[in-house]
This record gives sequence, C-alpha cells and structure tokens, in this order.
Amino acid sequence: MIQTTPETDLGIFLVSLCAGVIGSLAGVGGGILVIPALTTIFGVDIRLAVGASIVSVIATSSGAASAYVRDRITDMRIGMFLELATTTGAVCGAIVAAYVSASLLFLLLGLVVLLSAGMQVARLQEEVPTDEPSHLAVRLKLTSSYPDRRLGREIPYSARRIPLGFAMMWFAGVVSGLLGIGSGVLKVLAMDGAMRLPMKVSSATSNFMIGVTAAASAGIYLSRGDVDPRIAAPVALGVLLGAVTGARLLQRVSNRSVRMIFLPVLVAVGLEMIGRSLGLSI
Amino acid sequence: MNPERFRVMVSTVLLVGVSISAALIALGFGAAFAVGWQGSLLGQGASTAAATDYADLPARLAKLEPLAISQLGLVALLATPVLRVAASVVGFALEKDRLYAAVTLIVLAVLLTSIFVLR
Repeated sequence: MIQTTPETDLGIFLVSLCAGVIGSLAGVGGGILVIPALTTIFGVDIRLAVGASIVSVIATSSGAASAYVRDRITDMRIGMFLELATTTGAVCGAIVAAYVSASLLFLLLGLVVLLSAGMQVARLQEEVPTDEPSHLAVRLKLTSSYPDRRLGREIPYSARRIPLGFAMMWFAGVVSGLLGIGSGVLKVLAMDGAMRLPMKVSSATSNFMIGVTAAASAGIYLSRGDVDPRIAAPVALGVLLGAVTGARLLQRVSNRSVRMIFLPVLVAVGLEMIGRSLGLSI
Repeated sequence: MNPERFRVMVSTVLLVGVSISAALIALGFGAAFAVGWQGSLLGQGASTAAATDYADLPARLAKLEPLAISQLGLVALLATPVLRVAASVVGFALEKDRLYAAVTLIVLAVLLTSIFVLR
C-alpha cells in the first residue's frame, strides 16, 4: 500500500480503535488483533502492519504500566531482570523477521492467538504457595510482597524456577520481535506458570516489560523502513484510545464473563490467520 | 531515594512520555486531513521524502509537515521506554542497589544498540 486516502486513514483508525477495545475486553493486547485486521481489511503488507503494531504496543503498555507501578503491584526488580531476556530475544526476533516468509508469520500469529484463547479458559486463580525462597531468588533479590486489595493484606512471594522462567521470557521476546505483538500471554505464562508468581504481579509486571521489549524491536523496524506513519499513527492512536475505553468498560462488568464472550472472536481470528498461511504457501 | 519516590518517578516518565507522543501523533494525523500527509501547514511545497524515511526530520518539521509531526511523535514513543530504563538506572543507583543498577544498564545498552546500530 503506497497511497493512502483520508478514507483509509480514518478506516485504519476506527478498526484499530475496535481492536484496542476488543483486545482489552478479551484480555489480550491490541497488536494481536490489529495485524490480522490491517492485512485482511486494508491489504496492508504484513511487514508494515507489524511495524505499526509494535509501536502501538509501546503506547498501550507504557500507559497502563504507569498506573500499575504506582500501585506497587509491578515488581520492578523481577521486570528489569527478565527484560535482560526479553530485549535480547526481541532483537533476535526482529532480525530474523527480515528473512522469514509472510506465510510463516501468519502461521505463528495464528498459533499465538489460539494460545491466548486457550489461556483464557485455563487461567487458574490459585493463591500463591509460600515455600521458602530459593537460594538464587535471594541472591537476585527476586522476593517481595504486594498489597492485595481483595484479601486486604500484604502477600509475600518469591520467584521459583528462575532459569526456566528466564528461558521462556527470551522466547516471549523472540515472538514479540518477530510478530510485532506484546506477547503478554507468553510473559504471564513464564511468570505465573513457570516462576509461580502471583497472577496479579505477573500480569502487571508483564505489562511493565512489554513496552521495553517492544522498544528493542521497534528501533530495528524503524531503521529498516517498516514504520510508516500513515499507518502507524492511526494504529497507535486507535489502539491506545481503544485500550483505555476497554479498561473503563471492564470496571463495570465481571472480567470473566466478558472474556468468554470474546473467546470465539479470538478462535476465529486465530483460525483465519492459520488458514491464510496455508493458502499463501500453496 | 526511597522506593516510593522511585515508583512515582518511573510512573511519571511513562505517563508524560506517552502523553507527549500521543499528542504529536494526533496532531500530525489530524493535520494530514487538512493538507495531506506530505503537505505543509505553512503552505510550503509538498515534501518528496519517503514516508518511512526518518532522516532530515528537523527540516521537514520546520515546514510543519504532518508526516514529520507524526514521525516525531513515533520517535518520542520509542524513546519513552528507553527513558524509563534510564530513569531506573538512576533510581537503582540512588538506592545503592549495584546489582540492579548493572542489570538495568545492560538492558539500556541492548536498547540503544537495537535503535542506533542494528537494522
């Protein structure tokens, strides 16, 4: 897409707005929905879609992280430590992306969307096991506590299986750099699943890390000429505004029931992306 | 620096960064409807620069070109997490946490390398 008209500018903005709202209601980022929308509806080249998406990911993550950091739910030490893994992973992903075929990108994107949908079903809300912190966790200062409003007290926690979590984070970074998405689902999986951190701490810290991870690959996309403002500007504005709107709406309704409503949307988008990758490779 | 002020500082960097970037991007996007992406709000000649070219940004900003205004906003957005990490280096250093000052410095180095060296 070389030429844009005021109509397509406005269209991209509105579609990104919807992606932001639905993404935030469905508990996934906007990027994962905006790339399918841009490529399918507007025929945008997937590389420009990825370049626009990664920029919008920085905007939504930084906006939300600003609030969570103040609430002491984000663990800045765990976040910084794991950013060693995600930023190097993202750099690798962004470099590799230049050599990967569009159909493989669509396939990967489809799989990540389906994984996100699956996570909504499987999400367990078990409380944290309070074992003795491991030697490594103490050495790396990956033990802390957070104020839980619902339980009305401080909940102590410490990171477990740190090498496994670190490796999973590196992979999350690769996926983020490759596809231009936040890959929050993979980050939460690493922290909540592998490192056994409390769910709230995992999702807030994941959000905190997403912006920095995205910046590591966005710089590469920008110097490569994949960040076209005619697409990236309406996408960043639309997704950001949509995410803020979605978060406001969520305060009025129960998270879980809303997420179930959007589950079929995620599954459909995931299957569509996989179908497209198969169609492209023939 | 106490942890509370550290958190407020990091939070402020993020909020201010996103607000300024979003405002610039919106300004450029809005102006594009008036004079076109490559026009000029000052009524000067249309630019011939490629939309994905971020070079000679100052000159095109001087003409108030919508494309350049949005580009500046996108660059500011990219700079926001970098500034957040830089602020964290200072924060950990003031907390005298050498281990995390070092960890954060490495992350900052990775970011700067990805932005200025790799492509």
